[in-house]
Amino acid sequence: MSTSTEALTPDEVEGQKRARRARRNTTIGWWVITIVIAVWCLFPVASILSTSFKTPGELANGRFFPDNPSFVNYEEILVGDSRELFLSALRNSIGIAVIATLIAVVLATLCAYAIARLNFPGKKAVLTVSLMVSMFPVISLVTPLFNMWRTLGLYDTWPGLIIPYLSLTLPISIWTLAAFFQQIPWELEQAAQVDGATPLQAFRKVIVPLAAPGVFTTAIIAFFIAWNDFVYGISLTSTEAARPVPAALAFFTGASQFESPTGAISAAAIIVTIPVVLLVMLFQKQIVAGLTSGAVKG
Amino acid sequence: MSSVPTNVPSVAPDVGPDVTPDAARDRGAGRGRRRELQAAPKSARTKAEARLGWWLAGPAFVIMVAVIFYPVLQALWDSLFSYRLTAPDEREFIGLQNYATILTDGVFWSALGVTALITVITVFVELILGFILAMVMHKAIKSTRGLVRTVILVPYGIITVVSAFAWYYMFSIDSGYVNNWLSWVPGFDDQLNWFAQGGTALFVIMFSEIWKTTPFISLLLLAGLAQVPEDLSEAAAVDGANWWQRLWRVILPNMKAAIMVAVLFRALDAFRVFDSIFIMTNGAYGTEVLSLLAYRTSIGRLEIGLGSAISVVLFLLVGLIALIAVKGFNVDLAGGRGGRK
Amino acid sequence: MLASAALLLAGCGPADDTPVLTWYTNPDDGGQAELAQQCTEQAGGAYRIETSVLPNDAASQREQLTRRLAAGDTSMDIMSLDPPFIPELAEPGFLALPPQDVVEATTQDTLEGALAGATWKDTLVAVPFWANTQLLWYRKSVAEEAGLDMDKPVTWDQLIEVARDQGKDLGVQGARAESMTVWLNALVESAGGQILENPEAPADQVQTGLDTDAGRKAAEIVSTIGQEGLGGPGLATQQENEAMLLFQGDNGSFMVNWPFVWPATNAAVEDGVLPEDLPEDIGWTLYPRVSEDTEPAPPLGGINLGVGAASEHQDLAWDAIQCIVSPEHQTQYFVTNGNPPASASAFDDPSVREQFPMAPAIRDSLDLAVPRPQTPYYNEVSTAIQQRFTPPVDVDPATTPAQTGRFIQEVLRGESLL
Repeated sequence: MSTSTEALTPDEVEGQKRARRARRNTTIGWWVITIVIAVWCLFPVASILSTSFKTPGELANGRFFPDNPSFVNYEEILVGDSRELFLSALRNSIGIAVIATLIAVVLATLCAYAIARLNFPGKKAVLTVSLMVSMFPVISLVTPLFNMWRTLGLYDTWPGLIIPYLSLTLPISIWTLAAFFQQIPWELEQAAQVDGATPLQAFRKVIVPLAAPGVFTTAIIAFFIAWNDFVYGISLTSTEAARPVPAALAFFTGASQFESPTGAISAAAIIVTIPVVLLVMLFQKQIVAGLTSGAVKG
Repeated sequence: MSSVPTNVPSVAPDVGPDVTPDAARDRGAGRGRRRELQAAPKSARTKAEARLGWWLAGPAFVIMVAVIFYPVLQALWDSLFSYRLTAPDEREFIGLQNYATILTDGVFWSALGVTALITVITVFVELILGFILAMVMHKAIKSTRGLVRTVILVPYGIITVVSAFAWYYMFSIDSGYVNNWLSWVPGFDDQLNWFAQGGTALFVIMFSEIWKTTPFISLLLLAGLAQVPEDLSEAAAVDGANWWQRLWRVILPNMKAAIMVAVLFRALDAFRVFDSIFIMTNGAYGTEVLSLLAYRTSIGRLEIGLGSAISVVLFLLVGLIALIAVKGFNVDLAGGRGGRK
Repeated sequence: MLASAALLLAGCGPADDTPVLTWYTNPDDGGQAELAQQCTEQAGGAYRIETSVLPNDAASQREQLTRRLAAGDTSMDIMSLDPPFIPELAEPGFLALPPQDVVEATTQDTLEGALAGATWKDTLVAVPFWANTQLLWYRKSVAEEAGLDMDKPVTWDQLIEVARDQGKDLGVQGARAESMTVWLNALVESAGGQILENPEAPADQVQTGLDTDAGRKAAEIVSTIGQEGLGGPGLATQQENEAMLLFQGDNGSFMVNWPFVWPATNAAVEDGVLPEDLPEDIGWTLYPRVSEDTEPAPPLGGINLGVGAASEHQDLAWDAIQCIVSPEHQTQYFVTNGNPPASASAFDDPSVREQFPMAPAIRDSLDLAVPRPQTPYYNEVSTAIQQRFTPPVDVDPATTPAQTGRFIQEVLRGESLL
C-alpha cells in the first residue's frame, strides 16, 4: 500500500487531496441543504409548540419564544375545563380513524389482489371509479350525506364518519396496494407448492411476508388521511359522541366565550401532531416507498 | 385533503392482462388479446375467475359507488328545488333557477377566480419547490437521506387544520411575531394586519398550503425521477451536455408522465381548498373560495337547494379540469411508458 | 394505543334508569356544568343533566342546534340559545313552548331587555337565563386629559374626537363577524332607526331601514373610525377579545365591550402580564349614544334556555330549567363566570357588588338594551351586514347603507348568494 503512495507523482497526490476536499465539501453542502429543508419543514411545528407554552397574557408579546414557559394550556385540555371536549375528541379521532383505516385496508387488499392477479371484466372500471372518487370535491357530498344521515340516524355517530372516510381512504389504498402486489413475484407461491407446501402454507409462508410491508404502509397512509379530515368532521357531527379532533379545535374557548383559545388550540395541536411525527420517524422508509410505489423499487 | 393516489403513472400503464401472472403463464400461447379470442366460448375457469374477482373487488367498489354516486344524484335532485331546512313546508320545484342565480352572481365568479388563482399559484410554486426537494432526496448522500425524508413527511402527515392554525398564529396581528421579525425591512409597516385584505391574506393562505402539500408533490416527482434512465443522462454528459441541458433535454422529458399526474392531482386538490381558509379568514376580505361558498350556503344558511346547486357546479368544474388534463395525460402516459421500456 | 383503549373503555359507565337530560351549552368557564350538577343533586333522582358543549362562536352554535332540531333529534332537551337565533328556531316550531306555570315562575322579575330577547311574535318561547350587555369602558387617565366628564352622557363623536386628538385607539369590533352586527345595530337604534322595519315579515316582504338618516349616521361613525385608523391596526380582524387587548395596551382609550373584560383584565394583572395599577385606571359607564338628544341602545346578548319540540322529557326539562334559572343560581353564575343575570333580584346579592363593581351599570344598561332584529332570517341579515360593513375602512356613509339594504332583500328573495 505504502509503496503505491510513494509511486505517485506530486501532481497525483495533489489530485487525491483535492478529491478528498471536494468530497468533504460535498458532505458539508449536503448537510447545509438538509438543515435548510429541515428548518423549512419543522418551523411551523416549532412555532405552534412555542405558542402552546405561552400563558394567555404572553400571547401578544410579539416574540417567538414565551417569556415564562408554562404548562397551563396543557393542563387546560388534559385536566382542566376543556378536558371532556378534547379527550372525547381524541377518543373519537383515534377510534374512527383506526376503524376506517382497518376496513379500508382489508377491503383494498382484497380488491387490489383481484386487480393484480385475476382477470375479470370491469377491472378497469374499478380503477377508474376509485380514481374519480379520489378526485371528488368532498364538500359536494356534505349536503346530501347530511340529509341521508339524518334520515338513517347516522348523523353524529361513528359509522356516520367511518363510511365517508372510506371514500377518502379506499381509493388510495387500492392504488397503492395494487402497485405493491404487482411487484410481488407470485411464481414463488407455485414454486413453494411444487416443493410440497400446501396452498395455504405457500400463501402464508411466501406471500404474506412479501405483501405485509405494503399493507402496513398503506395503512399508515390511509390513517393520515382519515386523521386529517375536517370537512366531514364539522358537518356530520355535533356532539362529543363523534366529533373528531380537527373539528374540536374550533370548539375551544378561553375563560369566557369572547376570549381567544389560542393557547389551548396550540397545545391540542401539538398533542395530535405527536402520533404523526412518531409514525413518520419510525416508518419514513416505508411511507416514502408507499407513496412512490411502483416506481421506486423496495 | 390529499386523498389522492400518488402512484398513478406507474400503475396505470400496467393495468391489463399482460402483467398478471395468469397472462405471464399464458404468454407462450400468445399475448393477452389473442388469448381472449381463442377463449371466445368462456371456459368455466374464466367465469370462476371473474366471479372471484368481483367477490374480492366488489365490496370496495360498492362502498365507493354508494358513498359518492348516490349523494351526487341526491344533490342533483335537490338542486332543482327552493328548499330551506328550517322551512320544509315551503319546498318548491323551481327547475334550473338555482343555477341561474349562481351563475349570474358576482360572488360565485369572484370565488371561482380566487379558487383558480390559489390553484395556479400554489401548483406552480409547489412544482418548482417539489422538484428541488425530489432532486435532493434522489441525490442526497446516505448520511442525510433518511433525515431529509423524515422531515419532509412531517408537513405531509400533519393535520391541515393544525398547519392552518400554526401559520395563522404566526402572522396574526394579535398573537403573531412575523411583523416584529420583518420590521427591519425598509418600507414594511410593522402594523400590517395580514388578514385584513385579500392580497396579504391570500399570501399567507397560499404559503401554508404550499408548505403543507409540497412534500406530496415532491414524492410524486421523486417517483418520476427514479424512472429516468441513469445511462441516458450519463450518455448526454459524455456528449458534453451541461447540467441545465441534461435537465431540459433528458430528465424532464422522461418525467413528463409523473409531472402531468402531479399537476393534475395537486390542481384538483388545490381547487377544493377549504380547511386553511376556514380557519384563517373564513372567507372574509376577498378570500372566499368555492368550497367555502358551498359550505356556507348549505350548512350555514341551510339552503339545501342552492347549496346543492353550488356543489354540483363545483363537481362539474372538477370533472372538467380532470377531463381536460386526462386528455393530454393519456397521450403522455403512453409516451412515458414507451420511454421506460 | 393502550391509552386509547383505556379511553374507549372509560366511555361506558354503569347503566341506571334515571332519565338523562342533555343540556347543550355555549362555552363558558364551567359554570353551566356546575349548575347542571347542582340541579341534578337537587332533583333527587328525578333526572340527571348532562352537558354537551357547543362551538364558541354564535353562528356555529346556531348551525349545530338548527341542524339537530331540523333532524328531529330527541336528545335536544335543554338548549342554551343566543337570542338573535331564537326566531329562526321558533318559527318552524322547533321549540317546545314553556307551560304557563313555568313562564310565571321564571319571569317574575326578569329585566325588560332579556324578556324581549326570549319572545317571538308576542309569545315567550324560551326562558331567560342570563343577559348580557355592553358598557363603555374607559381609561380614566385618557378621559381626564381630554376633559371629558364621564358622568354625563357620552356620544360617539366625542370619543372619536378624543382618540383623534390624543392619537389613541378606540376598542371597537370591526371584524367580519357577529360583533359587527352587534355594533351596527346599537348605532342604528341609538340614531332612532331600525335595521329591519318589519322583522316578522316573510322573507320576500322584509323591508330594511338602513337607507335612512339613522343608517347613514351609523355608517358614518363606522367609516370615520375605519378611515382615520382610530380603531387600531387590527380593526378589520378585531373582535371582542382583540378589542380588549388593544384597550389594555398603551394606546387604549375607550372601548365598547361585554363585562367579561373585567375578570379577564384582573386575571392578566394577577399573572403579572399587565401592570398592577391598570384596573384602577379603568372606568365604565353606559354605552355611548349617537347624538346628545338620543338614548343609547346598548347591545343585548346573553342566553335563554329552550326545549326541543322533539324532546322526550319536556316536563322534566322545564323542571330542570326552573332550577337552573333560579335567582340564586343566576347570582352564582354571574359571580363565578362573569355572565350577568336576567333577573333583577339576582343583582342584589352583596357578593355581586364585590366581584363586579359595575353591576349597577350593567343593570341600567340591560333596561335600555335593544335586541338585534328578531327575524327567522337573522343569519342572512347579519351575514349580509357583516359583508358590507367590513372592513370599516371601505364603508361609505353615502352608499353602503342603501347597498346593504338592497343586498339583504336580494338575499332573502333568493336572488343573491351570500
